[in-house]
Amino acid sequence: MSAYLDELKALLREGGVPAEQAEATVADLASYVAETGSTPEEEFGPVGDFAGRLLAARAPEAGPAGASEWRWTADIFADRQTLARFGDQGWEIDRIDHLGRFVGHRDPERPQRWEYRRELVAPGGGRALAARLAPEGWEPCGTWLCYRYFKRPRAASVGPAAQLDSPPPAPARSVFFSRRFYLLTAVIPLALVVPGIVLTPSHGDTAGFFTGMAVGACTAIATLAALWFWTARRRG
Amino acid sequence: MATDRRASWLKGVLDLLVLATLTEGENYGYEIAKMLAGSGLGQIRGGTLYPVLNRLEEAGLVSAEFRVTERGPGRRYYRLTEQGRQTLAEQGSLWLAFDQSVRTVLASGGLK
Repeated sequence: MSAYLDELKALLREGGVPAEQAEATVADLASYVAETGSTPEEEFGPVGDFAGRLLAARAPEAGPAGASEWRWTADIFADRQTLARFGDQGWEIDRIDHLGRFVGHRDPERPQRWEYRRELVAPGGGRALAARLAPEGWEPCGTWLCYRYFKRPRAASVGPAAQLDSPPPAPARSVFFSRRFYLLTAVIPLALVVPGIVLTPSHGDTAGFFTGMAVGACTAIATLAALWFWTARRRG
Repeated sequence: MATDRRASWLKGVLDLLVLATLTEGENYGYEIAKMLAGSGLGQIRGGTLYPVLNRLEEAGLVSAEFRVTERGPGRRYYRLTEQGRQTLAEQGSLWLAFDQSVRTVLASGGLK
């Protein structure tokens, strides 16, 4: 089976498709590709997009979601902190949907605490990482761009204390963006436009404006890279 | 432009077309795509067809059964359910009525 179909199977499993069904789906798609004589990429498009469409078809927005299901989103500066907070409140992440939202649920009878970790992965390189973390009890629960998320029941480290007696109600909010995210969304357009205006000669040279924008884009990229590096250093 | 327009038309009716290919009995993905292409609808990529099949299955309009084949890794066979047959009849009639209205307006504009 091709690397494409292996990756698709892994993504379907992460999306909550039972192993047997994911296996059958991928086998069926392998037959389809063999009959068309094309490649999976040509026939189905990028693997992440295709998996997202299959999962969306399997669990539509207006579908029969369980009462305890909850979808929410956070930016990369706030995701780990937010995951830790809600994991501690008994929310287990099942997958990341095609809009990049975390899809999770909480056991209404016996809620348990969960812990999460986020890892940077190269395209197609997630399986080796998952295999390395599996002995420690980490299980993949979703991928967004170059980030793969893993979950582990807190019971693995603290035993019965991981059970929650009276979890707080489900949060009313579903968007958790950090101040740093809002700052960046404000700064980046300014970083692009202001140098363009400043470097444009008074007689309105268009080339000068675009040169300025290019300088601004480089500045913005350098700032982001520095911020990323600084964040990584701080997190050790 | 013409390709975009056709893609948009197909998007609105592909689920009905897939249901229609199953009225004579069960079938599998590649054969369904071939039947649609043979009707002049052009090549339907697996990336378009399979999400539609999944949605129809999820909605209970088709049932699917995976069978291992002698050659190859196996296939999922789709069969129209009673609910699917009813939906095809209802929604298909609406589409035909829509098609008739479009024809009437285009004919009034001089198209034959």
